[in-house]
Amino acid sequence: MKTPLYEEHVKLNAHIVDFHGWDMPLYYEQIITEHLAVRNAVGIFDVSHMGDILVSGKDAASFLDYLFPTAVSKLKENSCVYTSFLDDSGKMIDDCICYLIDKDRYLIIPNAATKDKVFSWMNSRKGKFSVNIADISSKYGCIAVQGPRSRDIASDLGFSFPEPFKWLSADWQSSNEITNTKSVIISGTGYTGEKGIEIIAESKAIVEIWKLLVDKLANYNGKPCGLGSRDTLRMEKGMLLSGTDFNEDRTPTESSISFIIDNSHNFIGKNKIDPKPKVIFRGIVMKEKGIPRTGDEVFIGDRKIGSLTSGGYSPSLSKGIGLGFMDRASAKLGQEIIVSHNGKKIRGVVVRPKMFPLEIPPSPS
Amino acid sequence: MYKVPDGIQYTKTHEWFKLDGDVATIGITDYAQHQLTDVVYIELPKVGDTRKAGSVLLTVESVKSAEEVYSPVSGTVVAVNNELETKPELINKDSYANWMAKIKVSEKAQGISAEEYRKLTGE
Repeated sequence: MKTPLYEEHVKLNAHIVDFHGWDMPLYYEQIITEHLAVRNAVGIFDVSHMGDILVSGKDAASFLDYLFPTAVSKLKENSCVYTSFLDDSGKMIDDCICYLIDKDRYLIIPNAATKDKVFSWMNSRKGKFSVNIADISSKYGCIAVQGPRSRDIASDLGFSFPEPFKWLSADWQSSNEITNTKSVIISGTGYTGEKGIEIIAESKAIVEIWKLLVDKLANYNGKPCGLGSRDTLRMEKGMLLSGTDFNEDRTPTESSISFIIDNSHNFIGKNKIDPKPKVIFRGIVMKEKGIPRTGDEVFIGDRKIGSLTSGGYSPSLSKGIGLGFMDRASAKLGQEIIVSHNGKKIRGVVVRPKMFPLEIPPSPS
Repeated sequence: MYKVPDGIQYTKTHEWFKLDGDVATIGITDYAQHQLTDVVYIELPKVGDTRKAGSVLLTVESVKSAEEVYSPVSGTVVAVNNELETKPELINKDSYANWMAKIKVSEKAQGISAEEYRKLTGE
C-alpha cells in the first residue's frame, strides 16, 4: 500500500522499505541527521499509514469509556488523549490517540499494523451501544511536524499552534467529514518527545501541505524524516511501539503507562490489571561500546531479569540503549546490568524509560 | 540507483573485492550500506588473522542492525582500515573508497561480476 505522499518521497530520493504492507521512507539521507534535525530544529514525517476511525452516535462517549481505561467522556472541547485498547485480560491490543471532535463524535488514530484488528475489536464489542464505527483511513493522511522549530514553520504556513493534547481546525479548501467543515485538523501531538503538531487532512490536502512544508524546511534547518529516525526518537523517550514492545501480552501497569488508567469508571479488562505487577517496562543505557538489540536478554550477574523489546543506537547520546520488560524487584533504577548480545556481554544500567535527556540514578545499595 | 562500479568483483552477500597481485582489498557495496543504514561501529579483524572464503570477516553495527561481513577470499589479513574505527560513517559516504581489510590470498578467489551483481540487486 502507498500513502498519498508516496510520490513525494520518491521525488526526495527516499530509501523506501516495506512497513507492515506500506511502502514507507526509512530515511531520505541518513537516520542520524534526521534524528538530530528533530531534536535541534524540525522534522516532518509522513504518518498517513496510521488509521483513522470515526466513532459517532449518542452512545459514543459511553462506548469508548467502556473500551478504554481512560475516561474519554471527561475530555474537554478540542482535546485528545493517549490511551490504549485493552482485551478482557487487561492486556494492551493497541495504543492510540482519541480525539473529542464534537458531542457524540470521536476520532481514534490506531497504529497502521493494528488498525484492522482494532476496527474488528470495536465492532465485536459494540453490543447494544448506539454508535456508528467508520474506518475512514484510506481517505485521510497525516503529517507529523516535530521539533523545537515546529511552531515557526507551522506559523509560516499560517497555522496556529495548539498546546499539547489540544487540537484546532484550520481552514483549507478540502472536505473533511471528521469535522464537517472545509478544514484540516492541527493536533498538539507526536511521537518524538519534542514539541510538535500532527496535521490530519484529506489525501489531496495532505499532499499540498507536505509540498509547502518541504519548500520551507531549509529555512528552519529542518529535514524530511523517515521511519528510521521516528523509531530512534521514540525509543530515546521510552515510548512504546505497538506490536514491538507489546502485542496483547502486557498491561498498562507493566508497560509503565499507568497514567492512562482512570479507575473511576468501568472498562474492559479493569479487574485484571495488577497495580503492582511482577514485571515492569524499563530503559537501559549501555556503559560501554556495543548496541543491544530486540530480543537480547538482560542479566544481573548470571541471573536473567528480563529481555529487550526494543534496542538500538541513540543518536542523541551516541550510546546503545534498550527498552524491555524486567523483573520489577530486580530492575531498580541505577541497577547495573549486563546485556547478552550474540554471546557478547555489554555492561549497562537500568533507567526510567526515558533516556534522553539522560539522568543515570545512583546505584541502589 | 546503487553504485556498482565495473572492474571489481562482488559477492552474493554484498561485499566487493579487488585483487592486486595476491592481495584482495575488501569492502561492502553501496547497496549493502543503504540497507544497513548509518554505520555506528565497526569491529575490524586484526592483522595476521586468517579467514576462509565465506567465513565472517568482521561485524558492522548500524542504527538499525548488526550485520556480519563475510570474507570473499581465503587468506591472511595484512591490513585493516583503522580510520573506520573512529569514522565508521565513511562507509555510508563511499563504501568503495573506504575499504575495510586487505587479505593476502592463499587460494584462487572467484567473485561475481558487476553485471551479475547489478542483476542480483535488481538494478
